Amino acid sequence: MKKIALFLLFISFTGLLGGCWDRSEVSELAIILGAGVDWTKQNQIRLTVQIARPSSFYGGEPGAGGAEAAAWVVSADGKTIEDAIRYLSAKVPREIYWGHCVILVLGEDMAKKGAGLVTNFFERNRRARETIWVMVARGKAEEFLETYSDLEKTSSQAAGFLNRMRTGYSVKLMEFAQMEASKGVQPVATAVRLTGAGSAPGPGQKKSPEHKEVEISGAAVFKEDKMIGWLDVHEARGLLWLKGEPVKGVVTIPSPGEPDKKVSIIIRRGSTKVIPYYDGNKILFNVFLTAEGTFEEQQGRENLDTPEKIKLLESKAAEEIQKRASLALLKAQGVYGEDIFGFGDAFHRKYKKQWRTLKNNWDMEFKRAEVAIGVEVRIRETGLMTRRASTPET
Amino acid sequence: MLEKARIDSMQSTLLMVSMILPTAILSLPAFLLNLARQDAWLSVIIAALAGLVIAVLVVSLSLRFPGKTLFEYAEEITGRVPGKIVGLLYIWWFLHSSALIVDEFGSFLCTAVLPNTPVIFLHIAALAVVAYAMYGGLEVLSRFNQLIFFGAITFLLVGFFLSTKEMQAVKLLPLFDTDLVSILKGSFVSASWFGEIVIFAMFIPSLNKPGKAYLVAASAVVITAFFLVSSLFSVVAVFGPYVAASWIFPIFDAVRMVSIANFLERLDPLIVAVWLMGEFVKVGVFYYAALLGSAQWLGLKDHRPLILPLGVIILSLATLCPNVVELLDFMSTSKPPYALTIFEVGIPLLLWSVALVRKKRGKAD
Repeated sequence: MKKIALFLLFISFTGLLGGCWDRSEVSELAIILGAGVDWTKQNQIRLTVQIARPSSFYGGEPGAGGAEAAAWVVSADGKTIEDAIRYLSAKVPREIYWGHCVILVLGEDMAKKGAGLVTNFFERNRRARETIWVMVARGKAEEFLETYSDLEKTSSQAAGFLNRMRTGYSVKLMEFAQMEASKGVQPVATAVRLTGAGSAPGPGQKKSPEHKEVEISGAAVFKEDKMIGWLDVHEARGLLWLKGEPVKGVVTIPSPGEPDKKVSIIIRRGSTKVIPYYDGNKILFNVFLTAEGTFEEQQGRENLDTPEKIKLLESKAAEEIQKRASLALLKAQGVYGEDIFGFGDAFHRKYKKQWRTLKNNWDMEFKRAEVAIGVEVRIRETGLMTRRASTPET
Repeated sequence: MLEKARIDSMQSTLLMVSMILPTAILSLPAFLLNLARQDAWLSVIIAALAGLVIAVLVVSLSLRFPGKTLFEYAEEITGRVPGKIVGLLYIWWFLHSSALIVDEFGSFLCTAVLPNTPVIFLHIAALAVVAYAMYGGLEVLSRFNQLIFFGAITFLLVGFFLSTKEMQAVKLLPLFDTDLVSILKGSFVSASWFGEIVIFAMFIPSLNKPGKAYLVAASAVVITAFFLVSSLFSVVAVFGPYVAASWIFPIFDAVRMVSIANFLERLDPLIVAVWLMGEFVKVGVFYYAALLGSAQWLGLKDHRPLILPLGVIILSLATLCPNVVELLDFMSTSKPPYALTIFEVGIPLLLWSVALVRKKRGKAD
């Protein structure tokens, strides 16, 4: 009797097999690599997604006889992102999977309409990651995603890697949200655009087809969640310095003895210290930038390998960094009237009581604030050389 | 004496930590961050001090009556009928707390991992496993806890350490930015978690060295406070106080941020596993306390016949909350005064003072 009961129980377990609610098979997923959002003329959201084609990710040599595109780009309109996804799923025969989405590109119009209309989906959705890179495309996000990359598999990945390298200003969704939430800083997102990319011809090819590739080009400035303007590449570098983000880059200055020839210094690491002062009326920010670099290239022929010359180079480089930072500061204070550097947060940390009254009018206070930028550059290494190999005999 | 098993000081400390910590780092951080922002950790430290006081109260009360649990000495102190009423109240609280924990974890799993699965199946699955362990009694529970505890804590710490790359310590500044009232409100909420140490009164008779009960309770509170404070630090340092306060499960999101070298990332299943094990033990402790208490209340010789009925009660209580918002609202606004005033401070304090006035004292073994 007991055995029969056990047997029946066992058989009845098979009834559970049909009930796996959350089963999802990899082969049934449409893996999204990048998403773009545009604001259409019909006042709707246009969601464009780049979906990976797994078959073209492995096997077969790239370029060997009609290689498939590695991604499929498809878009749909809707009132919200979820609404657009619903229309999208009428075109995509698989379950839409956000777990591998690396970039979120807002079209210029969408960014001006309000990034807040879009970003919440990517924060709330359990599949989408908080580490998505947020960018604003100069033009349409749709076109941005329709490109491909010669070096990477897809343009989404190319854009993701460009951000990850932190060559320019780049920002993750979570950092963007924090800037939106804080009153002491206004959000800035990476600006991207398409640029003609010549590609080297492969063997047996005459010339690879001309196409557009993605490029990081400065930054987009927001007021709360609406975009109000751009920063160009140079201003974006100044922004990085003043925000205290890890700066990797090159400072190029005229050679001290031969002003028409240049010297380049690679910045290895840097730090930013913002110290606010407030006397009840005027706000002063003392900004100290320190950078450590390597003297890496010289066009001229003079001998720079003396302690005095290195000191001279250091002060020249400091001047140059100061110039860049001032450029960004000028744009922020003068043109946009927005604290995009987080000086307000620094002020908050030191004067928490005064901040409570000032924070509601921080734009005005920031515009009036005096900012002094001091830069110190230290050159530690000079590459493999002391002086040029081609220095003429004396 | 119903429970014959004996557990040592180490096991009981770990059991008490696992009894508080899992939900304390699941949903409590969000409540605290909303109240006290970057000063939330101060709330926790104040609450931990309150927890220590409660622990001392409960242990000194229990040690007056060696070998007796809360249910037995309540009758001895106040007389049969009031004692029974106190017992009934505690049975209700243990059952209700188990149900809340089950519901909380059901909501978490549903949100984070299994959105299409009806939440009742998650409740049933969790409770079935715990109920099975209940047949083994206290010893099985504490040994299991000892087995998983260090693994779980290691995962948790590794999660924190890996996310240091995303952290910026300046986000914790300025200190004392919020007013004292918000900080105290936060400590009131978290004190209701630390106050759960009252349940230790059910386990003191099972200690092999009851003299160490003070040490056990105090170290459980301190260890819990340490992990709670460090998780608050890491969450605020990763997200800043405003964004951190907007997550339902902030620690989960902080671990999701981990991305090392484009390779070591997506560690969230790990943290889900840690929480699942924690849920098992936490529900287990409350379930077991309810079982032991009701068996003593009814004068049964064995708690096993009660496992199924009480399990069904817990399950049905767990389905009471219609949605996660209401559940969290209850946990953050109604639960602290309800649990603290009645079960965690009120009744123990009452029993303790009556015992003191009436000079009641149990016979030493």
